[in-house]
Amino acid sequence: MVKKISGNELKTAAASGVAVVDFSAQWCGPCQRVAPILEEVSDELDGKANFFNIDIDENADAADEYGITNIPALMVMKDGEVVDMQVGFQPKENLCSFIGQYL
Amino acid sequence: MGARYDAAIIGTGPAGLSAAVTLKIRNKSFILFGSSSLSEKVEKAHEINNYLGLPAVTGAGLAKRFDEHLKQMQIEINEDRITGVYAMGDYYSLQSKSNQSYEADTVILATGVNFGRSYEGEEKFLGRGVSYCATCDAPLYKNKKVAIIGFSPKEEAEAEFMSEVAAEVYYIPAYKEQVSLNNKIKVVNDTPVAIEGKIKAQKLVMKNGELDVDGIFILRESVAPSQLVPGLVAENNHVAVNRRMETSLKGCFACGDITGTPYQYIKSAGEGNVAALSAVSYIDEKRRANKQQNK
Repeated sequence: MVKKISGNELKTAAASGVAVVDFSAQWCGPCQRVAPILEEVSDELDGKANFFNIDIDENADAADEYGITNIPALMVMKDGEVVDMQVGFQPKENLCSFIGQYL
Repeated sequence: MGARYDAAIIGTGPAGLSAAVTLKIRNKSFILFGSSSLSEKVEKAHEINNYLGLPAVTGAGLAKRFDEHLKQMQIEINEDRITGVYAMGDYYSLQSKSNQSYEADTVILATGVNFGRSYEGEEKFLGRGVSYCATCDAPLYKNKKVAIIGFSPKEEAEAEFMSEVAAEVYYIPAYKEQVSLNNKIKVVNDTPVAIEGKIKAQKLVMKNGELDVDGIFILRESVAPSQLVPGLVAENNHVAVNRRMETSLKGCFACGDITGTPYQYIKSAGEGNVAALSAVSYIDEKRRANKQQNK
């Protein structure tokens, strides 16, 4: 499951283990398309990584803090530290291998 | 959103049209995106001597024959410009410039090779301050400085939209026509050379000056295939295909100049036919598998 959170909650939510954070917005076409795919991936990786979604319109400060300039942006965190970021839509296979390298 | 098509063809040069004709014969539902004037490259050709059956035909003459062929087979062209093709798993979702959404089981790419060369630093900073869609990413540049490079007067609308959000907008026209924009936008008549920055793009370097900005938008008439279809594997700026015109993405086929040289009309038409037949087999196989599953 991809859990919708606010920017303030991220530090606590991603404090331990692998976290995948999807920065998106309602008006962004590619974001809407990546969402169902990410949902599938999150179910397949249940217990291995936690998945979060942050709406950049509601959390402009978080978008600024993490340097989000284009969306969808997929950020991977390990024990609270940002380890990688991927921008733009990607098919499921690519998303799996992108996230897989940090598991 | 309408029904899901068997195929979406993008491009109305010889490859795309040939694919459309074949799909029509095979009774598949499809949508053909392109221009009602078909292909500029065909239209402007002086004389073509190796298109079988039409010796010494002019480009305009060939285009006319293509048009007649489409009319005879009742094939229509949709002029909505496709800006993104997304592999959703077992189907494709297409987004257009007018913000329409289309769905198809397969996609046939026949967009040609007119996507131009990229600027130095463009790929490095793509997604990190460089974007191809102003209307998509504009809200991220609220109160920031932005440079927009427009390749046709049509892009001026995107600059206008950006000026409602960003603090400062520079517009660099890469065309000769008169520019007409609101006075909030600063028009810069210079030639972009490179994009520089550290983690993010910070500077647009031009022949006669520089612009310190937070974002750079490059709005070309058409984008490189790997930008149009995220995840698609390219090979030396062309789409990698096998003999069946299959790309690296299941259900996505490519044909014509986009797959590489030789850039010949008859080669494109031939590849369009192969791509369409491969798409037909893919669709039929998928239907059989679905039927099996539902038994």
